[in-house]
Amino acid sequence: MPEVPRLSVRDIRKSFGSHEVLRGISLEARDGDVISLLGASGSGKSTFLRCINLLEVADGGEVWVDGEQIRMVQKGGRNRPASQKQVDHIRAELGMVFQSFNLWSHMTILQNVVEGPVHVLKRPRAECVEEAHALLRKVGIGDKADAYPAHLSGGQQQRAAIARALAMKPKVMLFDEPTSALDPELVGEVLRVMRALAEEGTTMLVVTHEMGFARNVSNRVAFMREGLVDSMGPPQEMFGAGASPAFRQFIGHFQA
Amino acid sequence: MTLAVTAVALLIGAVLGAIVAAAKLSGNRVLSFLGSVYTTVFRGVPELLIIYLIYFGGSTAVTAIGQAMGYEGFLGLPSFAAGALAVGIISGSYQAEVFRGAYLAVAKGELEAASAIGMSRALRFRRIIMPQVLRYALPGVGNVWQLSLKDSALISVTGLAELMRTSQVAAGSTRQYFLFFIVGGALYLVLTSLSDQVFDRAERRANRSMPSAMGQV
Amino acid sequence: MDIAFLSSTMVTLLKALPVTLALFALSVTIGCVLALVIVWMRVGGNRYLAAFAKGYIFVFRGSPLLIQMFLVFYGLAQFDFIRNGPLWPLLREPFVCAVLSLALCTGGYSAEIFRGGIRSVPPREIEAARAIGMSGFLLVRRIIAPIALRYALPAYSTEVVLMMKSTSLASLVTVWEVTGVAQRLISHTYRTMEVFLCAAVIYLVLNFIVLQAMALLEHVLSRHLRAAPPAAKV
Ligand SMILES: Nc1ncnc2c1ncn2[C@@H]1O[C@H](COP(=O)(O)OP(=O)(O)OP(=O)(O)O)[C@@H](O)[C@H]1O
Ligand SMILES: [Mg+2]
Repeated sequence: MPEVPRLSVRDIRKSFGSHEVLRGISLEARDGDVISLLGASGSGKSTFLRCINLLEVADGGEVWVDGEQIRMVQKGGRNRPASQKQVDHIRAELGMVFQSFNLWSHMTILQNVVEGPVHVLKRPRAECVEEAHALLRKVGIGDKADAYPAHLSGGQQQRAAIARALAMKPKVMLFDEPTSALDPELVGEVLRVMRALAEEGTTMLVVTHEMGFARNVSNRVAFMREGLVDSMGPPQEMFGAGASPAFRQFIGHFQA
Repeated sequence: MTLAVTAVALLIGAVLGAIVAAAKLSGNRVLSFLGSVYTTVFRGVPELLIIYLIYFGGSTAVTAIGQAMGYEGFLGLPSFAAGALAVGIISGSYQAEVFRGAYLAVAKGELEAASAIGMSRALRFRRIIMPQVLRYALPGVGNVWQLSLKDSALISVTGLAELMRTSQVAAGSTRQYFLFFIVGGALYLVLTSLSDQVFDRAERRANRSMPSAMGQV
Repeated sequence: MDIAFLSSTMVTLLKALPVTLALFALSVTIGCVLALVIVWMRVGGNRYLAAFAKGYIFVFRGSPLLIQMFLVFYGLAQFDFIRNGPLWPLLREPFVCAVLSLALCTGGYSAEIFRGGIRSVPPREIEAARAIGMSGFLLVRRIIAPIALRYALPAYSTEVVLMMKSTSLASLVTVWEVTGVAQRLISHTYRTMEVFLCAAVIYLVLNFIVLQAMALLEHVLSRHLRAAPPAAKV
């Protein structure tokens, strides 16, 4: 029996007005896959991630999470999710980490982390608090549990945001340029946490401009260009002789 | 009539507000204390009570003056004057805060820039600060106008036949309360929404003449 | 200064204080609930409810409270179905009419204030909540409302003080609260200044208490904006 992919995306299309941002993207992540998604600014990487957990509603295509398809209906000439309940349930299974952290400013770090498990998953608070402390220690900010987001550095905030997403025990983690908003000296601490997650076997889809991460941590690299997956493959291939001309030109910019 | 009372009140309030704001900003302890007392009391005490103070208090004073001049009996303060004065005093307390806030908003950066190019103090005040303060104050003054417009309804208790009073009298005589109050209320709605638009436009114009300044806010 | 007169005036006025406080507490509470309903209609996404809420806010903010109060007090009595309706024993009471119109009015103002608070909630924090599977009432209760409340509080405390002052209008529909009693004292004694002083002191003290309470609430809700507590600093 073939293994069910953790995440399977088929032929996602999305336009903003007349601007066609995604023109049919397909991607599959099996258990333990770490996929780096590369592409120039404006190539639609964020839009793609947001279409996966329906923060943006795609115009067409399918999203399957762990064998469950997100049901869509046509309503008033637009594609819409059929059930908000299913959307909530799918989102709970997808951990999202944003470029700008987006921690809830009125809650402490600990409250940020237990919020989802307690109020969305309705699990007992005591258990969640214990797990949250463990997660915070794991991302290296065990001593910040009672601080508010505004009191943390960017790197600490992003690690807290990763802990918040992990607390939901997601099937897949989605990262949207998690280090782009950070000062250079803070990038390393976040990448270390992500690398540790990858080594534990977490299924991850990572939009990034960190070539080192794409090359050394991920087991697959996808390159997006003009709303399509231009090329995809293991990093040895992508960064080796087999790269497409467009991708070679793209990484040329980073080495320059 | 309502408009006249409110306009006069707003003028009185502007003068009072400017004086009180200046007092609060003067740096002189006694003056700024008096200014604070003024704004605290007249913003904190019910409008109705202030109208009573001016109307009854004013009438007593006028009567006293009349008696001193040999006139026997009770002299009432004209309703229009009492009403405009009372609403003016109230709006003055609000306008003082509006002006003060606007001045403080302007004063920070602008002052240094102006003195850097060597303007005299008086010139600086007239050319740089005043226009800016007015621009900043405009939305606030708009709010005070709306407030005063509605306060003017209270003057009816002193017997002035303005909008409110008219609908009350008419209502009393025909017992068609509902209709007349509805009409009175609708007239107020027209007034407030019209003045909303006027202030909107004035604001946009004031901002257009100083487009660069918006970015600094 | 006539201390004896001042103190007897004060005593008389203070006897009316419970009425003022009851007017205030009831109308602010009911008005707050009403405002929540209206703001929910206004931003809830249903076009007709939003239009209704907009109209409500426009009418109750745009016309004088006094007219609204007279409408409720004198106006409602004209309709036979109200006179014969089950609520008439209540609506006949001036006190009930005063509370009703005060609450209706502050409902409009507060709804607009709450809407401002909601608009200042950072969209990114809402998005983060959606991304973990929150929606609907849960999202409002856990994320939007607490943040919006914090932003709306300064404007709302101003509105609450305005309500304290507005309770004075109830005297014009024959509810004997502090201002009404003061007016009666003035017309009996002609000692305007002294009576005014006493009444003013009462209102200023009330406002002061309300503002302190609001400031305390704001302080509690602003923990996340203040500097880190020393213990958490490294
Ligand atoms: N809500 C929106 N409305 C209109 N256009 C949008 C919207 N969101 C994104 N776009 C457009 O879609 C295109 C792709 O945007 P997207 O944010 O997905 O790019 P990206 O690959 O993530 O870029 P970056 O590396 O800068 O984050 C851009 O041209 C952008 O202007
Ligand atoms: Mg992006």
